[in-house]
Amino acid sequence: MQTYLQFAVLGLGLGAIYIGLGTGLLLVHRATGIINFAQGAMAMWGAYVFAQLRLDGTLMLPIGSIDLGRRPTVAVAALIGLVTAVLLGLVAHYLVFRPVRNAPVLAQVVVSVALMITIQALVVLRFGPNNIKVDSILPEGSWSLAGIELSSREILMTLIMAALSAVVWAYMRFTRAGVATRAASENERAAVLMGFSPDRLAAVAQVIASVLGTVAVTLGSALTGLNPENYTLLVVPALAVLLVARMESIGIVVVAAIVLGAFQSIIGLLVTKPWWPVWAQSGFDQIIPFAVVMVILFVLGRRLPSRGSLQTVRLPDVVIPRLRLVPAVVLAVVGVAALALTSGSYRFGITTSIIVMLLALSYVVLTGYLGQISLAQGAFAGAAGFTLSKVTSNLGVPFPLSVILCGLVASALGMLVALPAFRIRGAQLAIVTIAAALAIERFVFNNYSLTPPEGNPIAAATLFGINLSVREGRDLSRLSFSLMVLVIAALLVWMFIRLASGDTGRAFLAVRANERAAASSGINVRMTKLIGFGISAFIAGIAGCLIGLSRGQLSAESFTVFAGLQVLAVAYLGGITSVGGAMVAGVLGPLGIVYVLLRGVFDLGAYYPLISGLGLILTAILNPVGVAGATREQVAWVRRRLSRGGTAEPPPVADATPKPKEPSHV
Amino acid sequence: MPDDVLLETRDLAAGYNGVPAVRGLTLSVGPGEVVALLGPNGAGKTTSLLAMVGLVAPLAGEVRVRGEPLGRRKPHQIARVGVLLVPDDRGIFFGLTVREHLRLAGRKNDPSREAQVLDSFPVLRGLDGRKAGLMSGGEQQMLAIAKALLARPKVLIIDEMSLGLAPKIVQEMLPAIRDLARADGIGVVLVEQHIELALSIADRGVILNHGRVVLRGAASDLLRDRHLVEAAYFGAEEFASENDDKTLAV
Repeated sequence: MQTYLQFAVLGLGLGAIYIGLGTGLLLVHRATGIINFAQGAMAMWGAYVFAQLRLDGTLMLPIGSIDLGRRPTVAVAALIGLVTAVLLGLVAHYLVFRPVRNAPVLAQVVVSVALMITIQALVVLRFGPNNIKVDSILPEGSWSLAGIELSSREILMTLIMAALSAVVWAYMRFTRAGVATRAASENERAAVLMGFSPDRLAAVAQVIASVLGTVAVTLGSALTGLNPENYTLLVVPALAVLLVARMESIGIVVVAAIVLGAFQSIIGLLVTKPWWPVWAQSGFDQIIPFAVVMVILFVLGRRLPSRGSLQTVRLPDVVIPRLRLVPAVVLAVVGVAALALTSGSYRFGITTSIIVMLLALSYVVLTGYLGQISLAQGAFAGAAGFTLSKVTSNLGVPFPLSVILCGLVASALGMLVALPAFRIRGAQLAIVTIAAALAIERFVFNNYSLTPPEGNPIAAATLFGINLSVREGRDLSRLSFSLMVLVIAALLVWMFIRLASGDTGRAFLAVRANERAAASSGINVRMTKLIGFGISAFIAGIAGCLIGLSRGQLSAESFTVFAGLQVLAVAYLGGITSVGGAMVAGVLGPLGIVYVLLRGVFDLGAYYPLISGLGLILTAILNPVGVAGATREQVAWVRRRLSRGGTAEPPPVADATPKPKEPSHV
Repeated sequence: MPDDVLLETRDLAAGYNGVPAVRGLTLSVGPGEVVALLGPNGAGKTTSLLAMVGLVAPLAGEVRVRGEPLGRRKPHQIARVGVLLVPDDRGIFFGLTVREHLRLAGRKNDPSREAQVLDSFPVLRGLDGRKAGLMSGGEQQMLAIAKALLARPKVLIIDEMSLGLAPKIVQEMLPAIRDLARADGIGVVLVEQHIELALSIADRGVILNHGRVVLRGAASDLLRDRHLVEAAYFGAEEFASENDDKTLAV
């Protein structure tokens, strides 16, 4: 019992961070309607600045750095860290979130995910990928309670964060600006009509949230050290806390955060017990946030409040694809030629591009057509990949069958994730799926009893006696493998076009536009979502298998949450609503041909995540139809010009009705 | 005369995606004056109001407050100049209490003004801690008007107050607004479906149809010449062609 209590107290360190992030998330959601997936990443930056200052007296800026000569005191360093947080909050508001304040939820989710990728990439570039030690602001020590020694630092941290949350609560409750923030979150137009600027209120909220998170992470990282991935993803349990509090109650955020932190810590103790099953030892603590989210959404089942905003812009348009012979043949010839004329890493890059195109296509199905946001596509791909390793190495299932089988496994997983989508949509679905992705990554992919660390070999494919393996002898990228990838991709694209141009595609679009209207015109919304998730995950699964085949073996690093998010980034960048967009995404995608060129020719491979993150922010803000959509619009414009013989002008803002005679005046 | 004008629109055109929903709207309202803006559904009434408070950007023409053009001012800045719109959804916050509404409305803490406003709507006095979402439609509407008045507006624009309200409540509230406007020198622009009721308390009436002003005149004259109002309502086209002389003696 004593040990449990001690572990619970240790878990308060985590709980304090959740308090900071959760309160910030709540405030930002109240003020902007946006769920900021970058909250953890933003909080991390100021903590890194603090840590670096204390380490060697360097003030690290996003570009460049200032050497302060000697190490500043803890107080000065902490102050600089907080000032950084304030500036970051302002930058995030004015440059990133404000431009998308009236955009569709999808664009808002994408933009915050993009910010998360960008900051994380920037942290890796500026501070390095490894864990760094952070000075403790709070003294170490222990208090004894009824004879049990309890660590005092964690308790102090929690008290500080709870107090800061109470300040935020008082701000929302008692100040005119705070009440106006609540008012605007309910009816933004009415608040504007009373003379409040929601924009200003949102900026204040972003700054408070950023500072709160930074304080929490700065305090908390003294316990564990800072590392880019973990702290960025701490936003996931914080999101679970936010859902528990129904996005409304700061009090519940504090309590839930403490309970979750303590519980995760106790789980950490329990998994070391001899009676705990070995297969469930790793990543079990990450199952909890996901389980919490699911329980909240299913058992409680109440609708979560959404925010009434001024106006919303439509999702990017979809052009129904048609199967046309000439472009198809041209693309196939270009693909074969590109693969045949290259070799080595360049051919491998093109092959990877084709695979990433498929992953992006899975987003096109799910997000572009069905309007559902999933951040778990990478996990579907990974699940299929690891299953492929099992069925080929252990069971010896022959090639085409094995890949199809694994695609179906991913498909089943996708349909499972579709279940919450029956109830929720938009940003909340994004929360569920990122929690699922993290749970799958930590519990399955990182679980040594399921995926041994010495590697998960995947047997090379053969078909009708043809060797389709990716390498042979010195050839690290064989043409026959690449051609197989191309053929599979072509088949899937063909399937997609058939589907999208038929009844199923229309049903998807109807559900995307308005679920109630779709239901009232006889579309089975749930079935449609199930099919959509199934198909999307199937495509992602096939892509995962191809990734597996192209590597020959898999490890947990192959399918991290971040890799999945990066694919979302390029999919959106390319154009989330079309096959063309998926192709652009493939070309730009992680480890694809552009990456290979960046690395090989310009030696900029390390900057790839940063560039893709920034590119995504810009796309989401400036050009929601993506590269492919913009190109299509330009082509259509040129065609119009040509067909009118160059004389055309845009139709004037016409006086549509004939002018009635002027009535009398007063 | 211009000194007397609080809000005026000059040849205002406004609409969505470049397509005007209302064109050539010229109207003005002075202190203590009530102008009723009438017309059938889709005539462009609400769009006109939204353009006056900057929620819809004008396509042509301009809006002036006390002779000063509003230009590209943001909606919340226009509200601070003293032009307040009570929108057709009443513009209240269901999650906030009456007290919090009044808190938000009064820029300065001004108990005497609050007492004065609450005297006009005594029902609200007993509901201080009540959340707006739990109040009846009539109470909500009173709260909406009260919170607008508390901010000491120069111009009060009310969109479809009668929406969802019992006729009896409307009959009580409209005269109350009329009296408050006189007493405080507030200019009121009123959009109403209830023609007769609106004209009975208004000084002037402007009737829109198909996005244009088809008839305007003193409220009393419009009330008298009901057939002209009806013609303006039910067919601007016929009205314009059949009546060569549709001048209403003013």
